[in-house]
Amino acid sequence: MEQLFFYIFAITAVVAAILVVSMRNAIHSAFFLIVCLLQVAAIFVLLRSPFLAAVQVFIYVGAVMVLFLFAVLVLDVGKEAFREHMHSQSVPSLVMVAALLVIMGFMMFSGKLTVPPGAYNEAALAKNTEVIGRAVYTKFVFPFEVVSLLLLIALIGAVVLVMRERGKGADRNKPEDI
Amino acid sequence: MIPLSSLNISFASIMPEMLLTGLALLVLVLDLFIREEKSVLGYVSVIGLIALIPVSARTIEAKASFGGMVMADEFAAYFNVIFIIAAIFTILISMDYLKKMNVRRGEYYHIILFSTVGMMVMASANDLVTLYVGLELMAMSFYILVAYRIASARSVEGGLKYFVLGALSSGILLYGISFTYGASGSTNLSEIARQLGGFQNPFLILGIVLITVGFGFKVAAFPFHVWTPDVYEGAPTPVTALLSIGSKAASFAAFMRVFMVAFPAFHAQWGEILWMLSAATMIFGSVVAIAQKNIVRMLAYSSIAHAGIIMMGLLVYNDLGAGGVLYYLLVYAFMNMGAFAIVALFRNDRIGESISDYSGLASRRPVLSFLMALFLLSLAGIPPTGGFAAKFFVFSAAIDARYYWLAAIGVVTTAISLFFYAKVIFYMYMREPDGEAVMPESGVLYNVVLLVTAFGTVFLGIYPTPFIDMAIKAVKPLLM
Amino acid sequence: MIQLVWLIPLLPLIGAIINGVAGSRMGKKAVGLVACLSMAAAFLISVSIFFSLIALPEEARSIEVGVFNWITSGSFQIDISFLVDPLSTLMILVVTGVGFLIHVYSAGYMHHDKSYWRYFSYLNLFVFFMLMLVLGSNYLVMFLGWEGVGLCSYLLIGFWYEKKSASDAGKKAFVVNRIGDFGFILGLFLLFWTLSSHGIHSLSYKTVFASVHELDPKVVTAIAALLFVGAIGKSAQFPLYVWLPDAMEGPTPVSALIHAATMVTAGVYMVARNNALYSMAPEVGQVVASIGIFTALFAASIGLVQDDIKKVLAYSTVSQLGYMFAAVGLGAYVAGVFHLMTHAFFKGLLFLGSGSVIHAMSGEQDMKKMGGLHRHLKTTSITFTIGALAIAGIPPLSGFWSKDEILWEAFSKGHLVIWAVGLLTAFMTAFYMFRQVFLTFSGECRADEHTKHHIHESPAIMTVPLMILAFLAIVGGVVGIPFFEGGSKLHHFLSPVLSHGSHAAAAVEGAGEAVAEAHSSLEFILMGVSVGAGVLGIFLAGLMYFPPLKSFAPSFWTAENMAGTFSPLHKLLYNKYYVDEIYDAVIVNPIKRLCGWCLSFDLGVIDGIVNSAAWITRFISWVSHKFDIYVVDGLVNSMATLVNFNSSIWRRMQTGYLQNYAFIFVLGVLIVLVRVLLG
Repeated sequence: MEQLFFYIFAITAVVAAILVVSMRNAIHSAFFLIVCLLQVAAIFVLLRSPFLAAVQVFIYVGAVMVLFLFAVLVLDVGKEAFREHMHSQSVPSLVMVAALLVIMGFMMFSGKLTVPPGAYNEAALAKNTEVIGRAVYTKFVFPFEVVSLLLLIALIGAVVLVMRERGKGADRNKPEDI
Repeated sequence: MIPLSSLNISFASIMPEMLLTGLALLVLVLDLFIREEKSVLGYVSVIGLIALIPVSARTIEAKASFGGMVMADEFAAYFNVIFIIAAIFTILISMDYLKKMNVRRGEYYHIILFSTVGMMVMASANDLVTLYVGLELMAMSFYILVAYRIASARSVEGGLKYFVLGALSSGILLYGISFTYGASGSTNLSEIARQLGGFQNPFLILGIVLITVGFGFKVAAFPFHVWTPDVYEGAPTPVTALLSIGSKAASFAAFMRVFMVAFPAFHAQWGEILWMLSAATMIFGSVVAIAQKNIVRMLAYSSIAHAGIIMMGLLVYNDLGAGGVLYYLLVYAFMNMGAFAIVALFRNDRIGESISDYSGLASRRPVLSFLMALFLLSLAGIPPTGGFAAKFFVFSAAIDARYYWLAAIGVVTTAISLFFYAKVIFYMYMREPDGEAVMPESGVLYNVVLLVTAFGTVFLGIYPTPFIDMAIKAVKPLLM
Repeated sequence: MIQLVWLIPLLPLIGAIINGVAGSRMGKKAVGLVACLSMAAAFLISVSIFFSLIALPEEARSIEVGVFNWITSGSFQIDISFLVDPLSTLMILVVTGVGFLIHVYSAGYMHHDKSYWRYFSYLNLFVFFMLMLVLGSNYLVMFLGWEGVGLCSYLLIGFWYEKKSASDAGKKAFVVNRIGDFGFILGLFLLFWTLSSHGIHSLSYKTVFASVHELDPKVVTAIAALLFVGAIGKSAQFPLYVWLPDAMEGPTPVSALIHAATMVTAGVYMVARNNALYSMAPEVGQVVASIGIFTALFAASIGLVQDDIKKVLAYSTVSQLGYMFAAVGLGAYVAGVFHLMTHAFFKGLLFLGSGSVIHAMSGEQDMKKMGGLHRHLKTTSITFTIGALAIAGIPPLSGFWSKDEILWEAFSKGHLVIWAVGLLTAFMTAFYMFRQVFLTFSGECRADEHTKHHIHESPAIMTVPLMILAFLAIVGGVVGIPFFEGGSKLHHFLSPVLSHGSHAAAAVEGAGEAVAEAHSSLEFILMGVSVGAGVLGIFLAGLMYFPPLKSFAPSFWTAENMAGTFSPLHKLLYNKYYVDEIYDAVIVNPIKRLCGWCLSFDLGVIDGIVNSAAWITRFISWVSHKFDIYVVDGLVNSMATLVNFNSSIWRRMQTGYLQNYAFIFVLGVLIVLVRVLLG
């Protein structure tokens, strides 16, 4: 039963993801991305991680995607911008991706997961948030702190790349430099 | 539950990262208060970085801390010094660049510092998770730095390309990490090696291949190099220098630690992949570089070729080879930085970046052209420069480990590479400029950078012994 | 004194640095003074080292002077250190002595050049590398010098870079030398690897020669052969000699110093230095000797018909180098080094003399436009003739003794073919040298009026070096005369270094021993034969080109008649056997095409793959277009807002082929995976 649901969610996610990149309208793409992310949230539920599922919905579907749609609407990014960017290589690309799928699938099925599930078994995961909290603030505290820097730099980057220089905007008027 | 005591929380082990983060935050805050004279931020950063060198060069104990996430050993210390040196030079040549480009914004400096933090995290990462966040921190900083001149289409284009392809490669790297986790049940490097034993598992091989590809992108190995010329060309030149030195060194640090600590039992498999990549990268980089008329693109392909040689040192898997990688990267930091500093000078003064723009430099600026010739000859591996000693160690390590063909390819491509480096020297010394060509003006800071890099290049060439000894000592624990 | 040997290379290096950095602001006098003084000092130190060395007992005449430790890794160690022994002392005497004279000469010759400082900086740098080459006590120092002299040679050949022929010649020399150097590097690698598999982690001559007998003779053969490939390139032997005639595009003193007296003899020095290796590989010795004597004949035959005064000397140099290789290949190392030394004197002299002629003729190099210069250039013509007599092998000049020793060694070791070819070459040498002398200095001047008007003897700064070299060319052979008591002094001096070579070689040459015991009367007869060949060559050249003798010549014996009678042969020789053309067709052009192909790979091939599948793409896009119109658009039109977001970024994205980059990237992943699966 769980397997069945997994495959439903997974296939929907993959199809939605393909649609995201093949849509010619940014709004459509965004909607399919939401669909895709919702499927991932559902898979988290199947994995006994309701907390992650909720975070996924809140942050990605709720915040990020709404912001994204908002930006798209404000900037009026439309159909024109998404016209044919593939440089006539969509078919080779598809063939290649298919080949990649076959090879990776072959390797995955010929290999096996040799190691038994680790500490996070069903019983431990019952206290979902506690497990995550403990992991993040004990074992993974160092990378967790580095992630905070990562977010900071992303924030700075957004400001740097969007904000024009103060004053006369001197830089803009210069001829294309080197 | 994991008891806190078993985590071995040791702040001493992450002291360089912490201090550097503090410095970056200080510069960030200062940026708000200093409105006009932004170069003050540069001085603060440089002084802070210099003060940091002794701290990072020192290692307290080579024991995994923070729950096995961090390993502040000599290996990490060696790389930290390389990163800091690269960052210092980059900031020094950036100050001239920002002034001449009339950019009055201070974010530049602390982004460089944050990227250096990312590199340090990568070098000391003992866990795939730490490694990944460090890599992303570094990469995110570089996406911004490459596109820093938002008014220039080339810069933004480069940033965008780097971002999209970087995201793709990060995805592939993460995918590989997932497979590795699936096959071993852990993300900790030493734990992975323990769990895996020598068991052959296609699942794991898939993980290894994908991780290789992820790192291959960062070090610009063929065929994952495609971004390099465009991004190098588009980015502000000091950023290009840092990208070609710091980013490459950090990626090699992580590359080495992952493969030597986590997958030593699978050397036959990854050795074969790396053999192929290394050979292809050396050949491709040096052959295509011949065609380049733009010096930045030429140096981009040259850096690809160098990546191939460094990879050879990693794959031969003995102390001379792995130590050779560390030494090579140290030398590379000096010689490549010197070459890029001169290229940056030419671009800053809007003289040009075509190789023919260097015509007649020798008669107008004899010292500058001599230094350029020195850096290029070092890159080409001519004694008595550091480039020669570095290549010598890597090649002799390859021969020691019986990789004759690879060493032969390395020697041949080195011979080819002399051709395009000599082309620039030829233009500088044997051509007269067309009419009244403008010659670049270097300031005091610039001269300091050029002289220090030149000194380093020569010194490492004529007296490499202590540095190579340190490098070999640093990699010894990884080879166990 | 010997401990100060490090000063010898250091002084020219300091000179090069001073002139290179500050030369453009120093004034010509100061530049010339710095360069010449550094050389003079180096020469004086070399002389005093020579005397300290001969003061030592014979078995102690090999002193290693360490300068500093260059690379240490584990048990492996490389030092920058110098070896002072008879061979290297002889070489530094030649390099600094002849080098000093040529520096002085250059100060006059290059006086009008605007890049005076650059010239002297390169020249001093060259001397530095040459001294490193001959003084180094291990292979890596030798290699450093080896590469360095190549670089300086390249820089100096292309010194007048405004002339396309000069910069092309520089490139040619560089590329051809790389081919040879590649063999040399491979030889070094092989040597290093073989030794380290025997637990020896050193490349110093002493350890290598001491342990070479433990190595597999086959490997030693391979090493010797690979090193010889390097020598072929550096010393311009067949088939890599092609760069040397073109190298004459450089200033004439450079041709004298680098392309006659010193650098090109590095290969001979290298073989002599490695006599322990070569004596273990007699097959390679045979190859060396055969290539050498073939080159000698081949180049001499080209030299017979060339008209350019420097080209004749260039082919003559190739030919004489061939003699030296013939000698060292036969195990007669002393004879080879002896000829190296005398050749440095007389060929340096000839080149400088030709430089003086060119100087007088306002840059004209075609001998057909010269003639009668003896009237104006007394000193030059006399010294030049002395040089020509020396190279023609006329006793008692130096060239006679050294050339004769080589021929005698060939004969006494039973290599009669080599002896005969050598004799023929000696005859040709005498012929083309005196053809040159007569064409240049005798008869009527064939230059135009304007040039004629300018003809003048060179200043003393140029003629004095000529005289000194002429003196050396006359008496330089004394050290090698075999008839004094106790045999040749040079033999005696060099034998500690070169002996284990020649003894072993003699042992190998079992057949030759009986002949070697032959009476010295035989030696006298052979000397007579070779002198006869030289005199005959001079006489025939005189009949053809010397006006007072021309009338005695039989009617068919004129240059035009011979060229007409043997027209195909003449054409073949005149065009240098078409070797350059053959190389162009067989090697250069295919490589150019390959390069062109490689260059376009990054953009071309991938695009090509992509485009070849374009028709499928069009089909799919047609389908998806329909899908768009009828399905997607219908659903979402109500929401769509379409405006141009046409910033340059997007345009760049479209033409910047980001997607193609991603394509290549993923293709790479695929290839690696397939490779792993199949492997």
